[in-house]
Amino acid sequence: MIRIVWRPFQALAGNRPVLARRENVVPATQAVAFLLGIVVALILGVILLWTSGHSPAEVYERMFDSAFMGTDSLSRTLERATPLALTGLSVAVAGSMGLWNIGAEGQMMAGAIVATGVAMMADGLSGPLLIALMMVSGIVGGMVLMLGPALARSHLRVSEIITTLMLVYVAIRVVEWLETGPWKDPESFGFAVIEPVPEQAALPGLFGRANIGVLIALGLLLVFWLAVSRTAWGYELRLAGSSPDTARYAGVSLRRKVLTALLLSGGIAGLAGAVQLTGSAVRLESGLSNGYGFAGIIVAALALMRPSGVAVVAFVFGAVQVGGQSIQTLGVSSAISDILQAMILFGALVAVVFFNYRVRWTGPGGGSSSADPAEPDPVEPDPVEPGPVEPDPVEPDPVEGAA
Amino acid sequence: MDDGVVAAFVFVGPVGDAGWTWAHDQGRRHAEDATGATTLFVENVPEVAEDFRAVVVDFIENEGADVIFGTSFGYMDPMEELAGEYPNVVFEHASGFKMNDTNFGNFFGRMYQPRYLSGMAAGAMTEADQIGYVAAFPIPEVLRGINAFTLGAQRVNPDVEVHVTWTFTWFDPAIEGDSAAALIEAGADVIAMHQDSTAPGLAAQEAGARWVSYNSDMSAFAPDAFITAPVWNWGPYYARIIEAVGAGTYSPGAYWGGMDDEIVALAPLAADVPADVSAEIDEVAAQLIDGSWDVFTGEIRDQDGNVVVADGETMEDGAMLGMTFFVEGVVGSATP
Repeated sequence: MIRIVWRPFQALAGNRPVLARRENVVPATQAVAFLLGIVVALILGVILLWTSGHSPAEVYERMFDSAFMGTDSLSRTLERATPLALTGLSVAVAGSMGLWNIGAEGQMMAGAIVATGVAMMADGLSGPLLIALMMVSGIVGGMVLMLGPALARSHLRVSEIITTLMLVYVAIRVVEWLETGPWKDPESFGFAVIEPVPEQAALPGLFGRANIGVLIALGLLLVFWLAVSRTAWGYELRLAGSSPDTARYAGVSLRRKVLTALLLSGGIAGLAGAVQLTGSAVRLESGLSNGYGFAGIIVAALALMRPSGVAVVAFVFGAVQVGGQSIQTLGVSSAISDILQAMILFGALVAVVFFNYRVRWTGPGGGSSSADPAEPDPVEPDPVEPGPVEPDPVEPDPVEGAA
Repeated sequence: MDDGVVAAFVFVGPVGDAGWTWAHDQGRRHAEDATGATTLFVENVPEVAEDFRAVVVDFIENEGADVIFGTSFGYMDPMEELAGEYPNVVFEHASGFKMNDTNFGNFFGRMYQPRYLSGMAAGAMTEADQIGYVAAFPIPEVLRGINAFTLGAQRVNPDVEVHVTWTFTWFDPAIEGDSAAALIEAGADVIAMHQDSTAPGLAAQEAGARWVSYNSDMSAFAPDAFITAPVWNWGPYYARIIEAVGAGTYSPGAYWGGMDDEIVALAPLAADVPADVSAEIDEVAAQLIDGSWDVFTGEIRDQDGNVVVADGETMEDGAMLGMTFFVEGVVGSATP
């Protein structure tokens, strides 16, 4: 449960607002909330566009056309949705047990680094074999970068938020070092670039700019949706996140669960790096991750940490990015475009939060069962903080189903 | 739509950066005035294939662009692909090395020439004989600039040292400003730079040091610190390409113009640069423009004292484009 401590209110009335999860949220209404939030944001966006001197109708038409109309447009949206779905899933897997992987951006890079290294050593292999090898190397790369934060979290209770984030910059610096040093392409006339990925390693295309990375992402989302919501393993994962004491009592090893969730999370982000490398990019570059890792946090949050939601949110997010990019060729400045994109995502997020949570006012003496709010404890006593999202109470109990 | 050429520009930074992208945008405006072409631009386009492609495909499909100018190195690979996909559109890439025979060329300028001149001014203004250089990435373009600057500074001040720190950024005001402050802390009283922000100048002004900016005349941002700047002047080149595209006479090339072509120049000097140095700068500029002398003319030694250009010889373009060493007098590593 999210506890928002808003001190001015406390000082004024002795009360504070608490977000409490709504019970019996019908899953179908999630989509309604999501769309409603976007529509409200688009209506507010009309004001933004008017005041900045653009025709909202023209801008929205271009946004929609460039993202959805025709196979080329759809393929561009899917091209962006692919890495967003993978990084979103990466964050959601950790998030389903209340952990925050903020560093998917870096794990993407680590995955791309290892995949590039393997491609350099094995560039004589046939396409399918090399691609498979690079995908596995990507997963390994992401896991390796996550190993430190995962062990520090599971054994020393060091916040994974800090460690995963810091390693993002380490990974980017490693790419810069490889570009200017050991992996500099001798045929680049002194320019600091790494040699291109072997041609046969390019992911086969589906249509337009979309490649089989779309299917890899969809397949993985399906696997994790089943694993998290339909297996005992997934139930234990969510239980360990929402109520560690109960989980421990039930004989679940929290350490192992933390380790597994974080390593899987890192591996999926690493795979996103390998898919990006072989799908869209020509070579490993320091800009390869392109913010997809950080955007994955938004995707996962909008999807309420559920793999099923990640697919939809990633697609919409990809469309927003394509549309936002496209309206700039109409003369909309990148700043206005960024604000508009942020408004759409923020609108969706606000709507989703208020569909799933309600605000409850609690006085100093009653209501909340939590510790004294006046003295928030900087060190969480639990090895795993409960995340903002608890397992959905309306979902069928997977343990009973599995038993 | 037969008559008017539509020229579209893809910028890596904001046009308000006062630096690299600002200079390209000035060039765009100049070309529009000079040719009557319609020009379009998008700013802040990341150097990744899907972002660059999205913008260019929109420019071509929706806005009818006839020529695309990409102004950042990282656009090179997707630009090569797009040139193959759209054979009737001209693609011109700044600062890269790829081209084809029909519709894809590259262009850049001999920025090392005005950098040498700015080094002369800086060498005259340093009292500590120590200049700090906030360097971007260890690539030949940047090394060439540092070396030319150092050779210029040594011409008027043989004792001068140029201390280099690497930021691994093109536009990150926080890091670039901090690096300048650290170089000043370590004893430098003049700061030079290779990035697109004004932050090193603000740091210099705050510390009472002096500043050689880059890309454009940034004197308005730190008037007390500003000495001069090697600047870009892309307009005439853009206008030439747009005219060639309009006339159907375009053929791609690898253009590397110098001060004689006015694509690079030196900004006006600060009032307190000594008159004799100012006169000598004018003299050297005249030699660079008439081609009687160039910057990398021997004898030049590297940091380890090895002769890299023999006495009386001038470095070939190929060697300059692939430069990987620092000249004597530079303090720092060329391979960090």
